[in-house]
Amino acid sequence: MSEIQLKPIWRWQWTLIAGIFLLIVCAVAITIGPVQIKTIEIIHTLLGRETILSDQERSLLIEIRFPRVALAALVGAALATSGAVYQTVFRNPLADPYLLGAAAGAGLGATIAITVARADFYPSLPIFAFIGGILAVIATFLVAGRLYSDPGSLLLSGIAIGSFATAVQTFLQQRNSEVLRPVYSWILGELTVAEWSSVRWAALYIFIALGILFSVSKILDALMLSDEEAFSLGVSPNRIRIIAVCAATLATATAVSVSGLIGFVGIVVPHIVKRLTKKATNRALLAIALFGAAFLVLADLGARTLITPAEIPIGVITAFIGAPFFLFILRTRSKNL
Amino acid sequence: MIKVENLSVSYGNKTVLDSISLEIPTGTWTSIIGPNGAGKTTLLTSLLGMNPYSGSIKFGEIEAFRDLKRNIAYVPQRPQVPLGMTVREYVTLGRAKRDGWGRERREGKARVYETLEAMQLIGLQDQQVTRISGGELQRVLIARAIVQEPQIILMDEPTSALDLHHQIATLNQIELLKKEGITVLSTMHDITLGAMYAERIILMREGIVLLDGNSSSVIHSEELKSAFDHGISVHTLEDGHTVIVANKMRIEEI
Repeated sequence: MSEIQLKPIWRWQWTLIAGIFLLIVCAVAITIGPVQIKTIEIIHTLLGRETILSDQERSLLIEIRFPRVALAALVGAALATSGAVYQTVFRNPLADPYLLGAAAGAGLGATIAITVARADFYPSLPIFAFIGGILAVIATFLVAGRLYSDPGSLLLSGIAIGSFATAVQTFLQQRNSEVLRPVYSWILGELTVAEWSSVRWAALYIFIALGILFSVSKILDALMLSDEEAFSLGVSPNRIRIIAVCAATLATATAVSVSGLIGFVGIVVPHIVKRLTKKATNRALLAIALFGAAFLVLADLGARTLITPAEIPIGVITAFIGAPFFLFILRTRSKNL
Repeated sequence: MIKVENLSVSYGNKTVLDSISLEIPTGTWTSIIGPNGAGKTTLLTSLLGMNPYSGSIKFGEIEAFRDLKRNIAYVPQRPQVPLGMTVREYVTLGRAKRDGWGRERREGKARVYETLEAMQLIGLQDQQVTRISGGELQRVLIARAIVQEPQIILMDEPTSALDLHHQIATLNQIELLKKEGITVLSTMHDITLGAMYAERIILMREGIVLLDGNSSSVIHSEELKSAFDHGISVHTLEDGHTVIVANKMRIEEI
């Protein structure tokens, strides 16, 4: 029968591979550190069985390693997925939470929350960060002049808006030196403050945002067409655009409010997954989220082990990998993207 | 029946359609012709329900912007070609309204295969849509419109990138759709081809309808020549077919 010759459109192999990869990476990240803990002991602890771990080791595992790895995974999934969605919605291979100004806007929103509104860390901080992020995205597109401007114009306006937001953020920090330290930790991106309470709040917001994005991921196909074509296929493009950008910005804002400005995850991971799966980014969104989580867990592992006992800010690690990759994308996008 | 009454569309201060009134019976093929800037594409996208308009566009008794369930396929002249999508995936998007986004039902799959075959696209189905030629893309767009199984099909210059063989093959496929009761509206620069397939022609210029009637009467009218500033001539061949050609100007007239 003729239909047999047509391959299925939605395939899950890469999602499965990404899931297994994430599990392995998490297991390795939990094991490695100044105190080495065997994987089998981690499994026993997770299952609530008897272990040979001392109370100190057990506490290290449960109160420090687990939440840190969980937070890195959440932040990585949020940044990678929102980057992929921005790229689809704006039909722009260079759109990324960091380069669109969303992350800097979210950072400013979070800074205002702490310095001016004296907001508690959670749950209000991600809301302030979300408002800052969404305003920055809108401003970036207003400066670029139109929704589908060329990637270069969008990039430049994102840089301008991001710089402006960072400048205001620095000014606020200077004026509020008593809270300088917690705010400063964001700028370079850190996961050292990871604890279960922040993981829980971050998980809530990020799961809501990613849940929305996964539920509209297939309809995002329509945004890759012209608005007339999308409309004829029964989609109101502006409605989907607003839903997708708001959810992606909520994911970004939550990531920023918990871990600071970690750049390039949203551009590196979607492009690698796109090359592996040979699929449009919205068709591999779950794989992108899982690979994003694994990527940031690995980056955090590097951040805390490369120059022990000191720590490198995770944003520095992602920039070391992301900046050359970004240049590679810039040089090849006309041919391959 | 599509009923258009006093339809006006403006972009800023510029009036693109000016008080247009038309009636398009179900199951007919209407060709919209006219010089560049006549408002042909805007008329199509207005029928799609995209543009804010004054006046009225009714499908049966329902006003266009309220009738969100209607199934209208649109074949654009300049499509936005997505990255990372194969020909077959791109054509399957046409099933979204019937089968749901990302869903592949057996019936839809069979329809996609039949249409790829009918549009002579078998062999290209796994190619990236960004890598195919302009003519192939045009056939792919029409295939997507066909699998949509629409009530109305709007086509903006559907054959402009096709060679003669594929022009006829494509238009024949669309004629089959008309026989199934689908209403077809197309803009075409090639008036001869438009008149050959459409039973009705709407002649437009500068946002207004100059003439609306059966194909034969419109192509033999003085209004047609005057719409193109008398730069065309109409010839009837021995077999009864009519051919419209642009007049070649003498060098001293340029």
